[in-house]
Amino acid sequence: MSSSDEDYVADSDDDAGANQPSAKHGTRSSGPVKASGDAGGRKRAAWEDIQRSWDTIVEGADGSINSAVEGLREAGKRKRLLKDTTPLQRGIIRHLILIIDLSFAMVEKDLRPTRYLLTIRYASEFVTEYFEQNPISQLGIIGMRDGIAVRISDMSGNPTEHIEKLKGLREQQGQGNPSLQNALEMSRAALFHAPSHGTREILIIYGALLSSDPGDIHETIQSLITDRIRVSVVGLAAQVAICAELCKSTNAGDEGNYSVALNEQHFRELVMAITTPPVTRTKKQSQSSLLMMGFPSRTLGSGKTMSFCACHSKLSRGGYLCSRCNSKVCSLPAECPACGLTLILSTHLARSYHHLFPLKNWIEVPWSVAWSENSKACFSCLSKFPEIPKDVGADGEPRRKPGEHKGTSESSRYACEVCGNHFCIDCDVFAHEVAHNCPGCQGDTRAGEKDGIVRDGARGDGDVVMVG
Amino acid sequence: MDRVDGTDHYEGDKQGPGPSLLVIVLDTNPHAWALLNPTLPLSKAISNLLVFINAHLASHNANQVAVVASHCHRSVWLYPRPEPPSEDVEMKDNAPALNDANKYRPFALIEDSLLTSLRELISTTTENDISTTNTTQMAGSLTLALTYINKATLLFSDSNVTSEPMSTTLEGPENTTGLQSRILVISVSGDLAHQYIPIMNTTFAAQRMRVPIDILKLAGDTVFLQQASDTTKGIYMQLRNPQGLLQYLMMAFLPDQTSRKNLVAPTQEVVDFRAACFCHRKVVDVGFVCSICLSIFCSPSEGAICLTCSTHLALGDYGSKPAVVPRKKKKKRKLNGGVGTPSSRGGTPMPNE
Repeated sequence: MSSSDEDYVADSDDDAGANQPSAKHGTRSSGPVKASGDAGGRKRAAWEDIQRSWDTIVEGADGSINSAVEGLREAGKRKRLLKDTTPLQRGIIRHLILIIDLSFAMVEKDLRPTRYLLTIRYASEFVTEYFEQNPISQLGIIGMRDGIAVRISDMSGNPTEHIEKLKGLREQQGQGNPSLQNALEMSRAALFHAPSHGTREILIIYGALLSSDPGDIHETIQSLITDRIRVSVVGLAAQVAICAELCKSTNAGDEGNYSVALNEQHFRELVMAITTPPVTRTKKQSQSSLLMMGFPSRTLGSGKTMSFCACHSKLSRGGYLCSRCNSKVCSLPAECPACGLTLILSTHLARSYHHLFPLKNWIEVPWSVAWSENSKACFSCLSKFPEIPKDVGADGEPRRKPGEHKGTSESSRYACEVCGNHFCIDCDVFAHEVAHNCPGCQGDTRAGEKDGIVRDGARGDGDVVMVG
Repeated sequence: MDRVDGTDHYEGDKQGPGPSLLVIVLDTNPHAWALLNPTLPLSKAISNLLVFINAHLASHNANQVAVVASHCHRSVWLYPRPEPPSEDVEMKDNAPALNDANKYRPFALIEDSLLTSLRELISTTTENDISTTNTTQMAGSLTLALTYINKATLLFSDSNVTSEPMSTTLEGPENTTGLQSRILVISVSGDLAHQYIPIMNTTFAAQRMRVPIDILKLAGDTVFLQQASDTTKGIYMQLRNPQGLLQYLMMAFLPDQTSRKNLVAPTQEVVDFRAACFCHRKVVDVGFVCSICLSIFCSPSEGAICLTCSTHLALGDYGSKPAVVPRKKKKKRKLNGGVGTPSSRGGTPMPNE
């Protein structure tokens, strides 16, 4: 919802001057509210209680809504940020089966352009993001149509393969009944070989409100539990009891994995949330082990003679040389055909390290602190902060203006608690969502040494040391 | 007439390639520059660099530049200069240099600012700072560079394109008209193993933003900068003759992303993909990886407990020679078979009899 609000606000920003004297929205909003008022003490249903973005906006002293719009924007950015940074044990090596509903229910047009096309689009985005977040994980795709489960792509670690297959689906249309049980059984079979140190997960995008199953689905759920497979469902129409039960029983009683999409944006958010590695709940769910891996160097081999690669016996110049036995492999990740060593690009592993050492949320800086530290510009991007008002002293109490949004800083400054530097909202978002580094902590190690805190590269950067 | 001219000019401007932002990360590690002094003193390198910066600014009227110094304990902005915290603005003697009629003013501004901040940086470096370390804050400088690029891209898109509410942080289609940013690292220091994770984080951030990281290596060798340039599709060059710095800068690093598509850029023959272990910060090519958190260790830890996530890890059957052991067993079995059943099989080696 929040995003659509923002959109509206962004639009209204342009014609704020034109609309301002009339303030027409009062009449528009009065409809349903009046109706409920006439009914007396009747309790209003959830759908009647609509939050309108234009009701919450307070005009500034000069009659413009610019400040309110800025505040809303910042609040939106910040909301994305303030996530839990508690270090939890997560299953990083994942095995996931994506089940897509391809039944008659997907022809509906309540999600634009159709449920079917939108699902395929989001599924492709999901695949990309999944491998971005979980580089050494595996994924397979299964479809449900005509009462059977259709294999769309096999378990593999190559995103392009999956996306190609998904593109092929675009030509077809949804038809027939979906069968949850068939799809679950097929994915159970596909996940059978997943090693014990990885997770086994199923994500179902479910448009229909029914499932035509050949047998008792509860037996399937039982076997999913014994195989320690977790199921998450994203519904498109309405809540279905069996899906809720399925998610609850396979996720150790946690119902959070079943949700129904409200609109396109919400649908996307729900699907993308699954790309974050799941929390490991019990020791039983994953048996950990120490894996021996090789990090081979790549050679282009230009100017040298061509040679056969050990994996496919194809002639090639470049390739990766196994770090133990020097046999040539043409692509990674792979298992060395000669000595059996798992070969992987170290950059694949390094992609997931920010999950291990999450950057702490930065705190809002009140005017009084901004005054005492006399910060004028963002530490990292050097853009200027708004001027400190003259009437704020060292004891300046926080003066929250009416209509100011919670979670945003009144002085537009955000501070890292470790290094104490002040940053702007854009750098805050960037550091937490993209870089996963604190520019201040990385940029100056002298301060820590003065305080006598011994820091070592990885842990001194404001990261939380993970405690299992 | 004027109006027609104006629109024409506007249209023509729109057609051309977009401006580019170059962020230079200058490694000012005192130890490494002291070693390099006989061949290429820092002062000469800086003057070469200034010529390069001027060339970059001259190639498009909207081109921008920023310089970060990666010093031994901190990373500092050299240009643009951060605002001094004190209220009293120094109105000192930079007027004569700026008023030189023989110098294009933007060039003079950058030169002045860069030299002043560099002098400031060197004068504030204490002996203690130098003696306690021999590496450089590369991760911090790269992070600063990336935040600056992020901000510049946001500002640029705000001012130029009114629609499209920005999606640089997400993987979007490659835009050719927007601000093209790249990072050039002039590196002289060696091993950066203790900053492995932050450096890799910046590398992936740069990859997501489609910002190439070019590496110009004057001395030493770093595995992770090689990986950074390879991942972000930048240029990696190790100079054999550092004296020719300016030549290399002008020929290899001046073209921006759009022109690079039509050029054969120098690449690295072998990319070193080794990783640094978390326990001793050693660079390893075969390591032990915890399946829970993917931490890399150079040897199985004592008691088989992961040092990062402290889970107990089942050690696989990783003997010292895994490929050899099963073969020996097979031989033994064969021998045993041969000895144990001599009467039934006799001396017939054929299996399908």
